[in-house]
Amino acid sequence: MSTAAAILDLARAWLWIGAAVAALFLSIGIGRIDPDARGAFVFRVLLVPGLLLIWPLVLWRWWRLEKGDRWLPRYRPPSAHASAAAAMSALIMAALVLSYGARQDWPDNIAPRRITEAGS
Amino acid sequence: MSERPFFVGYLGLPRGLRFMTLALAVSLLIGGGLLATVIARAKDDPGPGTFRFDYGRQTVTGIVALTPTPILHVTKGSEHIEAGRTLMLSGQGKNGALLRARALEGRLANASGILLTRGDLDMMQLVCGEAGLGPADGDAPMAPEPEDLGRWELAGEICDGKCAAGAMRPGTGIAHKACASLCILNGLPPVFISTRPIEGETFLLIAGTPEDPMPPELYDWVAEYVALKGQIVRHGDLLVLDIDTATLERTP
Repeated sequence: MSTAAAILDLARAWLWIGAAVAALFLSIGIGRIDPDARGAFVFRVLLVPGLLLIWPLVLWRWWRLEKGDRWLPRYRPPSAHASAAAAMSALIMAALVLSYGARQDWPDNIAPRRITEAGS
Repeated sequence: MSERPFFVGYLGLPRGLRFMTLALAVSLLIGGGLLATVIARAKDDPGPGTFRFDYGRQTVTGIVALTPTPILHVTKGSEHIEAGRTLMLSGQGKNGALLRARALEGRLANASGILLTRGDLDMMQLVCGEAGLGPADGDAPMAPEPEDLGRWELAGEICDGKCAAGAMRPGTGIAHKACASLCILNGLPPVFISTRPIEGETFLLIAGTPEDPMPPELYDWVAEYVALKGQIVRHGDLLVLDIDTATLERTP
């Protein structure tokens, strides 16, 4: 199997699992963890595309909330903005330098060469 | 309460933050400019390929051949396409023309569309339906006899012929890998760009089988610079390369 075909298979599997999670979460889960969602159904369809993509995050949050995790701590202001910004800048620069380092040079030094004549 | 200066947008800049803000602004301006210059200078030249909308729609007559990518040996040219030239054929967007061309293999056909050119690469993007590629009246003359040019050792890049011809800029290189793979998967002509001309041609059409217009082993090598060996056959004024996939190597 080529790498491209493997990536396509992986993406297909990811989306199918996402569809299963979406069906489960939107029919059962959302009402269990969010009282405001009970009795409201039309908006749930709008969540399907996002669920297809980030279903692991949805499963994780669902599990945490089922175990009694509260919403409030999630909204505490993060305290690591400065270091996160510095780390991200460093990462971007590192990615740039590494990608340019790994870049191939046009193989201009290799000229076409006939190995065998026609018909041989 | 903390005495550290704190910036609030609508209250103006605190005195203690002025020097740092100014230094940061100047550094960002100079650094951003330098970074942009370095990145822009490191970019490869996208080449002179382009859609020839300035020519307008061209209609020619010719003999359809399959490698299995569809090509047209022009027998009756137009204002900008002279008879005797061999055109690669593509559909609109990322669509190939193979389905339309299969029924016309070896027959005389009218082809109509917009020309794309880049050096010795000539391609016609056909308009939709039979208006783009349909049977022509009359008997098909003999198509040019394929001429075996032997086995060659080459270096260059595998890409899709339409983007490389100017449908996208850049239409080659690693940044274009995903697009090139999709284009080839959808039946656009796979092309090998050689480092130097071979018998006067730099762009070679890659041969495949009726099931796989490009050998599946080549997909992982698309848009990378590779060295390889393969058999070259001349079809009209177009060179067709049959790649020996076992010889593929990534160049440094």
